[in-house]
Amino acid sequence: MADYTAILPLIVLAIFGILAPAVRILGKSDKATAIWALAGVLLSAFFVIDFYLSYPPGSAVDFEGVVELNYFSALFMLLFLSVAGYVIIASLRYVDKEKHTGEYYALILLATTGMMVVAGALDLITLFVGIELTSLSSYALVAFRKTSKRGSEAATKYFIIGALSSAIGLFGISLLYGVTAQFPEVLVGSNPLTFENIGAAVSAAMGTPMEPVVFLAAVLLIAGFGFKIALVPFHMWAPDVYEGAPTTITAMLAAGSKKMGIIALFKVFLIGLIAMKTDWTLLIGAIAILTMTVGNVIAVSQTSLKRMLAYSSIAQAGYILIALPVAAVSDPTVASYGLAGGFFHMITHAFMKGGAFLIVAGLSTVAVGENVADYKGLAKRAPWIAFAMMIMLFSLAGIPPLAGFWSKYVLFSGAIDAWQLNEQNNWMFWLAIAGILNSALSLYYYARVVKNMYVEKGPQDKVRVPMAMAVAIGICFVAVIGIGLYPQPFIQACLDAAHAFLGI
Amino acid sequence: MSELYDLLQDINILTLLILVPLIGAVLTFFTGKNEKAARMLPIIFSATTLVLATLMLLGFDFGNAGINNYQYTEQYDWVPSLGITYHLGVDGISVPMVWLTALLCFLAILFSWDVKNRTKEYMGLMLVLEVGVMGVFMTLDFFLFYIFWEIVLIPMFFLISIWGGPRREYAAIKFFIYTHIASLVLLLAIFAMYFVAGGTSFDMIYIQQQGMSWALEFQVMMFLALFFGFGVKMPIVPFHTWLPDAHVEAPTAGSVLLAGLLLKMGAYGLIRVAIPTLPAGARELQWLIIIVAIVSILYGALASLAQKDLKKMVAFSSISHMGIVLLGFATFSAVGIAAGVFQMFAHGLITAVLFMVCGVAQHIAGTREIPKLGGLAHKMPWYATFMMIGFLASLGLPGLVGFAAEMPVFFSYGFMNGEWNWLILIPIASVVITAAYYIWSMQRVLFGPLTEKIDTHHLHDVSWFEAAPLAVLCIFIIFFGLQPGLIYDYIRPVAEAISALVPMGV
Repeated sequence: MADYTAILPLIVLAIFGILAPAVRILGKSDKATAIWALAGVLLSAFFVIDFYLSYPPGSAVDFEGVVELNYFSALFMLLFLSVAGYVIIASLRYVDKEKHTGEYYALILLATTGMMVVAGALDLITLFVGIELTSLSSYALVAFRKTSKRGSEAATKYFIIGALSSAIGLFGISLLYGVTAQFPEVLVGSNPLTFENIGAAVSAAMGTPMEPVVFLAAVLLIAGFGFKIALVPFHMWAPDVYEGAPTTITAMLAAGSKKMGIIALFKVFLIGLIAMKTDWTLLIGAIAILTMTVGNVIAVSQTSLKRMLAYSSIAQAGYILIALPVAAVSDPTVASYGLAGGFFHMITHAFMKGGAFLIVAGLSTVAVGENVADYKGLAKRAPWIAFAMMIMLFSLAGIPPLAGFWSKYVLFSGAIDAWQLNEQNNWMFWLAIAGILNSALSLYYYARVVKNMYVEKGPQDKVRVPMAMAVAIGICFVAVIGIGLYPQPFIQACLDAAHAFLGI
Repeated sequence: MSELYDLLQDINILTLLILVPLIGAVLTFFTGKNEKAARMLPIIFSATTLVLATLMLLGFDFGNAGINNYQYTEQYDWVPSLGITYHLGVDGISVPMVWLTALLCFLAILFSWDVKNRTKEYMGLMLVLEVGVMGVFMTLDFFLFYIFWEIVLIPMFFLISIWGGPRREYAAIKFFIYTHIASLVLLLAIFAMYFVAGGTSFDMIYIQQQGMSWALEFQVMMFLALFFGFGVKMPIVPFHTWLPDAHVEAPTAGSVLLAGLLLKMGAYGLIRVAIPTLPAGARELQWLIIIVAIVSILYGALASLAQKDLKKMVAFSSISHMGIVLLGFATFSAVGIAAGVFQMFAHGLITAVLFMVCGVAQHIAGTREIPKLGGLAHKMPWYATFMMIGFLASLGLPGLVGFAAEMPVFFSYGFMNGEWNWLILIPIASVVITAAYYIWSMQRVLFGPLTEKIDTHHLHDVSWFEAAPLAVLCIFIIFFGLQPGLIYDYIRPVAEAISALVPMGV
């Protein structure tokens, strides 16, 4: 009998997700459905934590060579489950006046299952299935408010772009599949699309007539995943979708789905295409710098807070992308340190950006608008929420000692580490410089919101964010402050994950 | 080792110096609508900090005061996987700075007695600022240093942008972005030094010991980055433009702390980190430091001469006086470094008086425009006394604390065996400009017939909460002017040790 350890968290979550609409119909209660979904998340998380506790770092359990649970995938499964958890808690009050809440929670759980599949995937097809599961669920979630014109527009846009990018990515995968068939002698096992086999085939293809095909596949994969992650120049859809979606779902897209895309990119490039790294490191580095710069520059001029946060998400993806070229250097210590920086920033970003979106969501339920100007005088109206928002924004800007500072620090210092390693990596210095200059630039628009909340005068009436949303915001707040004050276990977990990821 | 030292070491005095204002800040933020508590709590907590700092000053062990002989040290692991520790310690350079921090914060809070707009936030932020500055002066871990360095920005940003003058928002954002960019360059240099030193420890002492053996080219590069990072905060010309804006718009107590403490952080970073860690790089760039120092001194003095706003004049004079600190450091001689550090201390005391005097003018006369004021001494004798002591100390009158700092700086160029020592004639000549703008402005503000451009019927002398801090500062200005040795005793051993690190001779 197969070992189900690796897939148990996924099965649990999928079952809870599929049954959620039934629970809604039978229980006739939104609250019960949300609690059911939350129970699924907690049970799934329990199995992941159980793996953490019963296996030492470096160990891995796989299910039929398709999905693997190791210190990398477990960390990200936990991250995705945390995101799902706080989104569900926040949704308890955010969608309580809507119909079809059963399906809403079901889709959240299924989307999360897809993300977890991507984290654990061992081959390209599983990876693709995971991405599609998440994407299809997200399209429906973005369109959840059927009567909202903006929501429908956003969902249509998201669906068309998403389907296109999936097709492009799938084309890249099929090209790689063709390449593996040319080199049957290097393949191991019956599945030619595992990342190891692709890595071996790509390595064998270097210098043969197949090399241009691999190159084309790499370009298609960058474009396909680039759309999912909203890298510049594939980012146009993101602000519209983030703005039009229900804000809790925006939080999930920014904190969860985006990370999934980045993980997929990391897996394909760092394991599958590592043999041709000289061809793509500089390209990815340039995209990273372009993405963070464009994201930040456009964010400066936004008047809508959700759009500003959307552009800031684009910029943050650019920061995370720094880890990709750094993790491709040949020194394993430097590579794993750089990669750990990327992982760490994904984790902190999930909480600080998710928290910021949840605050916007929470305030919109009590009739505070979604424009930067609507936050004037918020410190008087809702002191705790304003304080939490300030912490989230300063953390995003990288002000010490908050979570975002530590992850940016590990990320940027990873580039410096690679730079001082040897001559070939000289240009990586500029990754750190670009990251740091962009952080300074981003401070401008974050500080503007803080200024509006604390310095400007606004309406005098107090506002109270609903309890459930306050709890979800509280989770993010505690995470940002907690990681900031005691980052050691998180950095260690990211280093373990990087070791597991790179197989060292 | 005295009993006092052991006692203070046992109670972790340095952590207390951070913790007491921090607790005070948190409590102050939670005082709710109780205005009286929002005033009294910060005074109590900052006074406690001052008492602790004074004890630390008195307990200092002079028998053990060389370089890297830090006292009252504490070290705990924080992030072992990156080599970051919570490591505090003080030596002869930091002890006077820590005491100055405690003193100025206490006096600035007292001076703000009549703040009525959002009192608890104002007072709480002042205490948070104290936490940050204390941390910068005491930490021995690069990472912790950077964190405290950045923490300082946030309360200052709010102090300017909430309680500032008409252009406060522009000034606050400008201050924030300027100094943040400088901090980030600093951070880059810290990364690079950390990795080149082995990537295992952020300990300043460890990196400093590694640093001396680094290649000259790398040292020069790192020194340039650190010089920029610290220099913007000092500030040095041409990166000074945030300072006049920030000062003019900041509330008086904010200006006192900005000029009295925040500028010192930049100079402190140079002497604590940049010069001892990268001595050969510093030696290589000596010409640059001297030129920047001289330009800052001259530019600051000339710009002061041209100002109509009393506070802007004082702000520009800060640039000039911080240039003298840099001029002292640039000699790399024991005398020059010691005098530079003493100038930091002296300028902290003097500039606090100057900004308080400007604040009182604004408060009582309703304007700081020099042409609109005149003959204030007739109606405000105490005010005139404080202002004269401050201005005369700042222009370097012998017997006051400024002279005891500037004189040795100029003097130290006699010891220098480089080809640059003739340049000292320029800053010496600039003393005349300094005297000119102070005496001229005093003449126009205090003496002559009482001004008719403003309503003078309601003019009254300084209130008690303004007079008390001014009096305390003036007493210290005179006391340390007559007894500078008391502070030099702390500084000298470290200055000698740092000077010995720098390879002299070309």
